[in-house]
Amino acid sequence: MSKLGQVVEAVEKYNQFVLDQVKRARTDEKFGRELINRWNETKEKTPVTHTPTGLPLPRLALPEIDEPGEIARYLFGEGLPGEFPFLNGAYREMYLEPTRGIELSSYGKKISTNGPKEKPTGDDERPPEEPTRLFSGLMLAEDTNERFHYLTQHQRTHRLSTAFDGPTLYGIDSDADGVSGKIGEGGVAIDTVEDMVRLYDGFDLGSPNFSASMTISGPAPIIMAMYIAAAKRRFGSKVVSKLRGTIQADIFKEVQAQNETIFPIEASLRFLTDMVEFTTREMPRWYPISISGYHIGEAGSTPVQQAAYTLSNGFAYAEMFAGRGIPVDQFGPRLSFFLDCGLDAEYIALARVSRRIWAIGMRDAYGAGPRGQLFKLHTQTSGRSLIAAEFKNNLTRTAAELILAYMNATNSCHSNSADEPFTTPSEEWIRLAAHGQAILLEESGIFKHTMNMLSGSPGMKAVERAVEAAILEEFREIERLGGVLAAVEDRFQRSQIQNAAHRYEQQIYDGTRPIIGLNRYRNGTDDIPEVKLARTPRAKQQLQIDRLAKFKKKNAGKAKRALDKLVDVVERGENCFPALLDAVEVSSLGQITDHLQEVVGRFRPMV
Amino acid sequence: MASPIRILTAVPICDGHDSAINTINLEFIRHGIEVVYLGYHRSVSDIVRAAAQEDVRAIGISSYNGGHIEFFADVVRELRKQGAHDINVFGGGGGTITHDDAAIMARKGVDQIFFAGTSLSEMTDYVRKQYGKPRKKRTHAKNPDLVLARRLTEIEDRSGARRRSAITGDGSTSDRRKRTGRVIGFTGPGGAGKTTLIDELVLRFLNQDRHSRIAILSHDPSVIGQGALLGDRATMINSQTDRVFMRSMATRGQAGGLSPATHDCLAHLAQSNFDYVIIETVGTGQEAMPFQNDGIIDLTVLVMNPDYGSRLQLQKIVMLDLAEIVVVNKSDLQRARTAHSEIEQRLEQNRRGQKLIDTVAKRHRDPGVDRLFDLISADRTR
Repeated sequence: MSKLGQVVEAVEKYNQFVLDQVKRARTDEKFGRELINRWNETKEKTPVTHTPTGLPLPRLALPEIDEPGEIARYLFGEGLPGEFPFLNGAYREMYLEPTRGIELSSYGKKISTNGPKEKPTGDDERPPEEPTRLFSGLMLAEDTNERFHYLTQHQRTHRLSTAFDGPTLYGIDSDADGVSGKIGEGGVAIDTVEDMVRLYDGFDLGSPNFSASMTISGPAPIIMAMYIAAAKRRFGSKVVSKLRGTIQADIFKEVQAQNETIFPIEASLRFLTDMVEFTTREMPRWYPISISGYHIGEAGSTPVQQAAYTLSNGFAYAEMFAGRGIPVDQFGPRLSFFLDCGLDAEYIALARVSRRIWAIGMRDAYGAGPRGQLFKLHTQTSGRSLIAAEFKNNLTRTAAELILAYMNATNSCHSNSADEPFTTPSEEWIRLAAHGQAILLEESGIFKHTMNMLSGSPGMKAVERAVEAAILEEFREIERLGGVLAAVEDRFQRSQIQNAAHRYEQQIYDGTRPIIGLNRYRNGTDDIPEVKLARTPRAKQQLQIDRLAKFKKKNAGKAKRALDKLVDVVERGENCFPALLDAVEVSSLGQITDHLQEVVGRFRPMV
Repeated sequence: MASPIRILTAVPICDGHDSAINTINLEFIRHGIEVVYLGYHRSVSDIVRAAAQEDVRAIGISSYNGGHIEFFADVVRELRKQGAHDINVFGGGGGTITHDDAAIMARKGVDQIFFAGTSLSEMTDYVRKQYGKPRKKRTHAKNPDLVLARRLTEIEDRSGARRRSAITGDGSTSDRRKRTGRVIGFTGPGGAGKTTLIDELVLRFLNQDRHSRIAILSHDPSVIGQGALLGDRATMINSQTDRVFMRSMATRGQAGGLSPATHDCLAHLAQSNFDYVIIETVGTGQEAMPFQNDGIIDLTVLVMNPDYGSRLQLQKIVMLDLAEIVVVNKSDLQRARTAHSEIEQRLEQNRRGQKLIDTVAKRHRDPGVDRLFDLISADRTR
């Protein structure tokens, strides 16, 4: 049995354990009393907050139960927010406004002064930060840098999410044959460490209030090395251990869905593991992988497939890292997740269930400690759900998806711009997307007063049960195929996703899946709006090519030595990340990719 | 009845959005169109070369990552530079290509851009209407591959007409005196890894002799309704170079793993100044013996998957008696050791000196593929 089979068993066993606890609470009087006491204590300790209209509300909402069996079902089956198995949230409090004007009593009963000030489970103490993330990347490094400064001008914390252009995502240089029209399109063009310095210019990379997220997978280890090199150039080598951020680096989902793989699967996984081994040791605040269902969802999977493949990919990575000898409590807390949130009913609880399965699997099949059990989640609203026809409807779609994402207690969230079907979003629509989140979290009272505000409805419970059963069934299917890697090489996930995509298109076509403005209530005229497109001017593209030429000329001799050394290390099978750190100082992304491909080959696409 | 329309589809370089094109390809083949699919992340030169060699009527490009104005225009420009004015270009990109963009692209020679919301049947109707008419003779071809490609089309169309009017006889023009290339046939069940293996061998051929040229004749089955998805180019990453002439053929209703035109096309390629001519059948069954003893094929390679079933199944595979070389690919699978010894024993019974080689074609620099390559190239010097 592969590890995934053990995860299935662990979840089944845990579910049985919950049932046993329920039974025991009802039969074992002492146990039942303990549960009731704990329950009452939790309620008593819960502070009360006041809404602007003066309505008192508890900061944590709990179900109205007083029978020991039901209490056991809640505490063991779901867990309080921040408690195993984390169904209701990875942390005790999320999205709540600062604790001003809080009455120190709970559920109507006065308690002592100074309410509980426990630290959130897991991470170190930091100023409260906005969960809002905005994805950006356009033209050249200095243009994206300017956009970053614009986006963060009112934010307490600077969380930059970086999109790269096509050539960068495929590990090739801006001077490569036939890519000139792609430079700076859909993301920022990065060829060298000098571009990386320009990209984050003016930001304090070592500050606790700064983090960089980089959406790139195929050449991720090279880009990671460039980021470290750029940080060292600006702040010295001591900054390395302070760097915060995330790099996507998810090879499995690239092969399954997004098609941005540049090395064969095994070589890609080896370079990834080299990087993870380095960063989890030297950069304890860095997330070296963002295990992503987003692109699986965007490629057309069902929500259940999205969650099942993402989780199983995550468990496969964990198995791989552990196999390299990295301790589970070193890499476990540095894994993060990224899911899509669309409008299908599954999204009411998809991330909640995922969090629970991850926690149980990591604890019981991998032996992870509490920090390694957390499913830390970034959500993005569905790009695929956005429609070009009557595109302003996309504001409503994204708003509904945002509510679902926060109902699932996501740790951070990106809201799409309504103009995304057309282009890289323009500032006007980005602003509206960001304001959508602010309206939901800051203006509305839905999430800011009470944790668990919308959790636990009978409908949500029904979705949770159905989704969990369906995810486990997907796991069993992958297990039958010999585990995640074997299934990936067999194109299993890929073809399942493609089948689901075809079904989805067919449903739109025959109207069984209503899309307002497209196949229902269509106004007859195509209203493709005047959208101002962010296109990279020719002169800028040429500037990037010229800079690259200058860099290559300047470093020609050194580059050869560094690249030879890199090739040598790769051939000997050692961890190549230190050699990559040296190579990026003097060679370009494309040069490094070419040399690595000489040794390990190129990725052969699956059709 | 006219031959099926052949078109090529692809996604541009630095773009992995293949969801739309996958759906569109299926719709095209359901409506009798032969689609040569080149895959995603494809350069202008890869696309133009493939279109020229495959002699398609049109190229459909699905672009979602921007830079489409330049990319489409470059494809049109490069086609014209080579004298392939009669290969048309169309495409789409959901909402990413605006009406203004499309107007510019039309001025640069693009036939048609489909916008978001276009139904699949609109696209299929367009292709059938626009690209279904007979073509004029080509007068500007500057690239000799274009001339060869058109010749193969003529052979293919002629065989189709002949088959349909029930004329038998092969009309072979094989002439051993003119032959230059060594012809190697690859066959075996579907999923054994023939395409990957050939592509890995091509890489070795190209590296061995910097001036050699290779021709590949690759087959995929036609579906009911006469369309076909010809997808081998998408995975044959090493074979997309000017030194490889590749032609994808649909079986067009013929059973046995080849097309009615294969024999004549192969005969023509064998005289066309290639160092090697490689032919790959569709995935075949136990009873298949696709290569006739007609003097064209010099060497036959049977590629097997270790999962062929019980030992008894081996006795039924006809090609095990006929192939000069038998390859057990995917020899990293658990079953491979058993497969090797069972097949070895089976070949020993034949007493024909057949060679058996284990490979893992998906592995870069696989020593088994090296051995196969040595065997094939040594055979040439004999």
